Amino acid sequence: MTADPAVVTSSLPVLAFLVPLAAGAVVLLGRRFGRVLAQAVTLVTAVAVLGIGVAMVARVVAHQVLVAWANELRVDGLSALLVVVIGGIGVLASVYSVRYVDRPAKPDRPGETIAPHRLPVFYGLLLWFLATMLFGCVTNNVVMLYVAVEATTLTSGLLVAFYWDRRALEAGYKYLMLLTIGITFALFGCVLIYAAGAATGGLGGGEALLLSEVRRVVGLIPSGTALIAVAFLIVGFGTKAGIAPFHPWLPDAHAEAPTPVSVLLSGVMIKMAMYALARTVSIFYPSWPELAVFAVGLGTFTMVLGVVLALAQDDLKRLLAYSSVSQMGYVVAGIGLGTYLGCYGGLFHLLNHAVFKSLLFMAVGALIYSTGARRISELGGLARKMPITSACFFIGAVAISGLPPLSGFMSKLTVFLALARAGMWWAAAVAVVVGLLTTVVLMRAASAVFWAQPAGQRAVNIAVREVPASMWVPMVILAVACVVLGVMPQIAYPLLDRAALVLATLGR
Amino acid sequence: MNTELLPVDLIRTLSMLLVITSVATVEIRRLRLSAVAYSIQALIIVALLASFAPGNPALYLWAGTALLTKAILTPYFLFRGIGSGDDRELKPLIGFGPSVLVAVLLMLGFYHLTHTHVALLAPNELAQQELFRTNLAVASTVFALGLYAVLTRRDAIKTVIGLCLLENGVHLSLVSLAPGLPETALFGVASEVVVTVYLLLYVIGGVRREFGTTDTFALRELHW
Repeated sequence: MTADPAVVTSSLPVLAFLVPLAAGAVVLLGRRFGRVLAQAVTLVTAVAVLGIGVAMVARVVAHQVLVAWANELRVDGLSALLVVVIGGIGVLASVYSVRYVDRPAKPDRPGETIAPHRLPVFYGLLLWFLATMLFGCVTNNVVMLYVAVEATTLTSGLLVAFYWDRRALEAGYKYLMLLTIGITFALFGCVLIYAAGAATGGLGGGEALLLSEVRRVVGLIPSGTALIAVAFLIVGFGTKAGIAPFHPWLPDAHAEAPTPVSVLLSGVMIKMAMYALARTVSIFYPSWPELAVFAVGLGTFTMVLGVVLALAQDDLKRLLAYSSVSQMGYVVAGIGLGTYLGCYGGLFHLLNHAVFKSLLFMAVGALIYSTGARRISELGGLARKMPITSACFFIGAVAISGLPPLSGFMSKLTVFLALARAGMWWAAAVAVVVGLLTTVVLMRAASAVFWAQPAGQRAVNIAVREVPASMWVPMVILAVACVVLGVMPQIAYPLLDRAALVLATLGR
Repeated sequence: MNTELLPVDLIRTLSMLLVITSVATVEIRRLRLSAVAYSIQALIIVALLASFAPGNPALYLWAGTALLTKAILTPYFLFRGIGSGDDRELKPLIGFGPSVLVAVLLMLGFYHLTHTHVALLAPNELAQQELFRTNLAVASTVFALGLYAVLTRRDAIKTVIGLCLLENGVHLSLVSLAPGLPETALFGVASEVVVTVYLLLYVIGGVRREFGTTDTFALRELHW
């Protein structure tokens, strides 16, 4: 443990969300200039956000906490981790969508077309989606955190329904309705934190809204109120984070959205909600450490339910969506422990999951792009025709299964060790079994799609080719990241260490 | 907050009217009439916020925000979403008689529960006072009725009306729980509800064109 980091005023937290917000407005207002402007602005903005994220990481690793707007915005290790993940995946998803979204036929629905004037809307909303997620990660105001999380639902709602056909509309309706109701509970939770913090009498006027300040007086909050607040927060932010049993919206939305949006939903958005949950609930840990057992229970339940439902899927995108639920279980179990090792493992897995789940969704998107099919039963024998996609999918599958030497192994191992060290052997055992089941799910899908003889006629008859470079380059970058984070996990240490120290309230 | 300045009787009457209009909004089977009941309910909320305001002038701003978002924009979107055709609500899961019974039971149960256990929900001294206990009890009742409507109604537009009720309940509770909420946060919370309603009705418009109905039971393409 080291001394408290230095608090420094900086414009980075402001820029992080204002840049994509302004760029999104430019794209939406400049719709008539067409898709090229929209794509160029989106790419430049995403790179800028990544740059801001990297700058934040550099400052945070040098033991600084960045604040702006009189402590309304605050970036510590945890925020910086999320910003850099959002920026990184944002860049790759934008590059990927250049060819994926920009073509007349909707990839999963051959023959149908997207009106050209809708493409700039796609990119504008994509930028606003990034902006709202980034705002949530830098705000220190508990009510604005709710506002940000709900805003991510609103900006992504039309992206989920973008294809505007029966499936997409159904998914969009469920997404907006279920998440809005769920998040309303989080508003109650956030307001209770504020009201309870203000009632302790230890804080000045607006200070009770600031999470960093409420943290100091949390011990004075009555137990009953704290319990209700935590319950509301878990239902609210937990719904958004895809924690079982609040997950039913997730497979619909993640599977029906255009693939670059699926990448952002599964790779980034549920992490941002997890961040909101961890940020708010962790302030109650020092006074109520028994929350840890409950959190680990919730995490293991989520892991098991997610993987069991994934086993039953034939649709590749739904399979990946359910596997996201399962993997979020590991993150909850790790962070929920409240110990340094648990938080480190949970956050490491959060980072890794963002990488390999984005990779897997992109690979499935590539299959849809080239074959027009997304059911395992409709695909087969594609390893020769799509070598890069198949290699990338395989690397992603090995990584998510937690097999050495790729990234998932390291983070899952950390979570297992943390659980065992906390004496929760039952949870560690469940986590190991779920890891094996994940291997079964992903390897079965990979072997059927890429190596087995095609079962139906469809895959053989289509002249299948590898996807264009703008789609496979992002995949290769992510695949390399899976390998690097697995072989050299220490490169993420400086940042993950700062981030884990923010959440680790129950000692080592 | 200076509670001596508050028109207590007026607040009581408005609170009671609020609960009655909520039940009406949920139970009326003509969508346009239901939206009218909702609009009246929204106006009562505006009046309620304004009558709390002598004790806390910031609430005038809340009342103004509520007037714009809840009583003008939301009803406008709702009426536009319902359209000019047949506005009979699709048969809900629960028939009219049992549904009214459930609504009344919910109302009494939640009112009683919140009123007696207010200390858990609201740790501040303000909320312990009789008037604010009543306010919280009414707010949670409206919330529960809205949730009930969302869960048991088949008609997508009716579920949106239920969602509006639910959000109204939340906002009303803020009077007691978070009277010092800054304008930016308040505006964020209030404007998001309007955007949600707009987006949901926009998507429901698409559903109506694609499926030929606003029956949520018809949304069965995705399962498992």
